[in-house]
Amino acid sequence: MAADEDNKKQVLKEPWSDEGFMKDEQRERLIDEIAKENTQLKEEIQRLETELQEATINSQIKEDIPETKVKFTSLENPENDSQFLNISCSFQVSSQVPYELQKGQALITFEKEEVAQNIIRMGKHYVKIKDVDVEVLAKPVPLNSGVRFQVHEEYSTVKINVTDIPDGLPEDQMRDKLELSFSKSINGGGEVQCVQYDKQSRSAMITFVETGVADKILKKKDYPLYINQNCYRVTVSPYTETHLKNFQVFSGISERTVLLTGMEDLQMMDEELLQDLVNIHFQRKTNGGGEVEVVKCSLGQPYITYFEEERNGMV
Amino acid sequence: MNDDAALSALREEQATLKSRLQELRRQRELRALPYDQVPFQAPAVPLVFQGNTQQGQEAPKWLVSKVRIYYPLSGGSALVTFDDPKVAERVLQQKEHEIHIEECRLRVQVRAVELPVVTTVQVSTQVSRHSVLVSGFPAGLGLSEEELLDKLEIFFGKTRNGGGDVKTRELLRGGVVLGFTKDAVAQYLCRVGQFTVPLGRRKCPLRVSPYLSGEIQKAEIAFWPVPQSVLVLNIPDVLDGPELQDILEIHFQKPSRGGGEVEALRVVPPGQRGLAVFTATSG
Repeated sequence: MAADEDNKKQVLKEPWSDEGFMKDEQRERLIDEIAKENTQLKEEIQRLETELQEATINSQIKEDIPETKVKFTSLENPENDSQFLNISCSFQVSSQVPYELQKGQALITFEKEEVAQNIIRMGKHYVKIKDVDVEVLAKPVPLNSGVRFQVHEEYSTVKINVTDIPDGLPEDQMRDKLELSFSKSINGGGEVQCVQYDKQSRSAMITFVETGVADKILKKKDYPLYINQNCYRVTVSPYTETHLKNFQVFSGISERTVLLTGMEDLQMMDEELLQDLVNIHFQRKTNGGGEVEVVKCSLGQPYITYFEEERNGMV
Repeated sequence: MNDDAALSALREEQATLKSRLQELRRQRELRALPYDQVPFQAPAVPLVFQGNTQQGQEAPKWLVSKVRIYYPLSGGSALVTFDDPKVAERVLQQKEHEIHIEECRLRVQVRAVELPVVTTVQVSTQVSRHSVLVSGFPAGLGLSEEELLDKLEIFFGKTRNGGGDVKTRELLRGGVVLGFTKDAVAQYLCRVGQFTVPLGRRKCPLRVSPYLSGEIQKAEIAFWPVPQSVLVLNIPDVLDGPELQDILEIHFQKPSRGGGEVEALRVVPPGQRGLAVFTATSG
């Protein structure tokens, strides 16, 4: 390999080897050029790195799950052992899809999709309000996209995490010390099934034979670890596994709800009265309408309206 | 000679820099994206307005639903749910309860129920390298979930359709996510974009697009109380299940023992085990 490269250099040298003067100048220029290129490359790399980093931060969804009132509903038989070794919890998170209803606009939801689509196709409608035919325009509701996913979490009843384990013992020996310390019932320990120790991260996972031991140990934040004559306090924390399922970005479409515009001049009217009149107009078959579920008008000030998922959707 | 060394060092550096830049450029193509800035159309999910409005204050950005918690109970325990959370609180004031049955006394421990639940979750989103989203299914296919997934796997598993070995499959609301063992297959299918796939008796034009996947970066756990319920532990093995149930119910209903109206009482007799299910009271 080395001989090969030497050969190449020999070949490269060839064209300049006649004139030593030219050779040096050219080489210097070449070095300059490459150095400059490298600086540019470095700058570009840095720019991209920052961009990628920012993108990662921006793309994070951070969600606080509000405390929900929960209640006992039933007692089931565990299907398998793993179900018995975890307290498992699951829930669905979906983003709210709002639409800001402006003054003079209304939302109307029909029972049937066909009716809503027909109303949109017809476009212009004349709604009789106080003996005046008000021109109202029907359009699809422009909705944003959202995201939904399921969170599944398992909280082990037999495993715990141990961190801040002191250095200084060979791996095998430390594993034994951990097992010995966590077996001591006087400290709340119990029979240990296995110890997974990672020397580098100074952490371990302890699995107990009986359920209930982990729970007892976790009542405190730390636990005594005996190494020869010394007692260290190691940090204990629950062992949990969390994962996502059915992660999905979606764009909202409104099939049964229609946006009505053109009622800006009715600001003096009572919203409820207007809602009734709109309802009456659009439930008439002769006006192209049908059974109406909800009408919401905004006259005085805009409303934030929320759209929910259709109960029986596709697939 | 010195200059030669400098030159080759610079050339070497340039090669490393170039390959790093190439890697970064590739990463940028697959870069993490905010979910509302997807460069391709996300599958449509029908939404409906049902009168839910808000004025002034801001409503929560997220909806949490379908909360379900499984809590294992070991043998010799029971779960008592009272009508009134105050009764549960009173019962818990004593850690140990003595239950009188004829001549003997049953000594049991009581404990509050606390459920470990994820309370903060941080999710990052990224265009998946090995998965694609198949969408555009017509309504009324009349296929079960399993049947639909099988048909898709058969079609997209074939090399003559541009597919390859399917590793994962998942049915979502607006489509199906297929994961392939080879990244190149996923990338090829996305480039083609449109496929006519036989689904049952019909041939359906389906769309294949990149799949934006989510991954948990951080999850924090807190304990939620179940204020109406009390856990009874270490019940001695002296009575049969039905009898034990009655004895416990009588005991925990006695106001003189701090008890009150019992809504539900479920016993897991010694030697058996059970899984208590908790759900949200609303939604």
